[in-house]
Amino acid sequence: MSSFLKIAIRNLLKGPSTDPYPYGETFVPKGLRGKIKYNAKACVACRMCEHVCAGGAIQIREVSDKSGLEFILWHNTCAFCGLCEHYCPTKAIRLTEDYHTAHRQEDKYRYVEKGFIKYVPCASCGTPMVPTAPELLNVAYDNVNKDIERLSKLCSKCRKEKVCG
Amino acid sequence: MSTYTIPVGPLHVALEEPMYFRVQVEGETVVGLDITAGYVHRGMESLVMQRNIYQNITLTERLCSLCSNNHPCTYCMALEKIAGIEVPERAQYLRVIADEIKRIASNLFNAGILAHIIGFDSLFMHVMEIREIVQDTKETIYGNRMDLAVNCIGGVRYDLSDEKIKYIRKQIDRLKKPLEEIIDIYMNNKFVRARTEGVGVLPKEEAVRYGVVGPVARGSGIDYDVRVKSPYAAYDKIKVNVHVENGSDVRARAIVRLREIQEAVNIIELCLKELPDGPTCIDHLPEIPAGEAIAKSEAPRGELIYYLRTNGSDKPERLKWRVPTYMNWEALNVMMPGNKVADIPLIITSIDPCISCTER
Repeated sequence: MSSFLKIAIRNLLKGPSTDPYPYGETFVPKGLRGKIKYNAKACVACRMCEHVCAGGAIQIREVSDKSGLEFILWHNTCAFCGLCEHYCPTKAIRLTEDYHTAHRQEDKYRYVEKGFIKYVPCASCGTPMVPTAPELLNVAYDNVNKDIERLSKLCSKCRKEKVCG
Repeated sequence: MSTYTIPVGPLHVALEEPMYFRVQVEGETVVGLDITAGYVHRGMESLVMQRNIYQNITLTERLCSLCSNNHPCTYCMALEKIAGIEVPERAQYLRVIADEIKRIASNLFNAGILAHIIGFDSLFMHVMEIREIVQDTKETIYGNRMDLAVNCIGGVRYDLSDEKIKYIRKQIDRLKKPLEEIIDIYMNNKFVRARTEGVGVLPKEEAVRYGVVGPVARGSGIDYDVRVKSPYAAYDKIKVNVHVENGSDVRARAIVRLREIQEAVNIIELCLKELPDGPTCIDHLPEIPAGEAIAKSEAPRGELIYYLRTNGSDKPERLKWRVPTYMNWEALNVMMPGNKVADIPLIITSIDPCISCTER
């Protein structure tokens, strides 16, 4: 006959196995998929994150004075699935280990992650364009030389003219 | 003796999900059963047609929490079939590891609920605490306790470093001894036996007639497992020992699930040992042509089938899935009659129903 008594006594001696959260620390492993952090400097506005986001939590749109692009992520719509991070070519978007999402009702519409990509003028014709992030160059080229860096400051039209003559 | 009709559900203390049963009883004994479903219908088959192929990875993962890894995995397999994408070998092993870790957690959950329903709450607590080992593993390796976010089209989204492999090994080693202890209790403890033996019997012929799948089929002596019959991911390279019981009752189904946990532990160990090097995902964005495909996998509850039709755009034209519970709950019509009223929730739990998968 299998008795549970032995296990029950052993468990009793072990004491509680629950964490004292929120009064104490709790188990947070490295790599937990928590709130998203966005780095506008590394972003190239390819909009893949916006495309793959199942909940539609991510929006990238031009601001009204046309000076750049605004990135908005609604934490309350985010499902923490991590697809945006997986498909981001420059890893400008990543999930942090911060799982604290409690906030007041009145802050519900302000509970967002924001970023702003300011347009820079093309070095040749002056057309406003999304700056080329060095992270993207590192993904595309093994060695980023002076020529590539110079080309990266041009808009797509000037770049084509420069390269193809 | 007079006949009554009693309602069980849709909200009932012993059911985790809403489902409505109209049970005809004669005194204490069940004589007939009516099943009404539809309380958690969310229109997901329509939703997947409004979202693109990437968004649906996340959406299908949220169909249900306990077999949440099998849905996106099977969905991705269907897409890969249509597009002719070759999944890297390492990714196939990583898919198997994720699959088996989810199976352990899911089956332990069901074993725990069984103990809770028969009033053995200290055993329920103990099983749920063992399950925490698996939950912590999932949280550490994948970043979430339930939704692993493992799959993407053409591979997986996670990789295992040597450190993480060591961690998984350590965690599943911690599982082995407690597992043996609880299997002994579920098989031999006289209180558990008294409540589960001979209860909710589904004879083999009836199991075949109803086409039941998963542990319900294997508990009735049917040797059917997708992992062996039509291997997917890396299952063609791994030997899976299918555990079959002939008791056909609640006890047999519980033992099959517990034995499958032990088998899952073996499979994970084998996968970690044989894990090949290489990429974990294709290095380009997939192009999905028009076409149709069927993919299937062995979810913790049984065979899961996905049908997908694409039309060349990035949204599916049709996505339909048949989940194991759809086959298994009809068999309740055979299991219930002749049993006592007090056994109703127990028999329902023994098929490990996943209502949100079935009604989506």
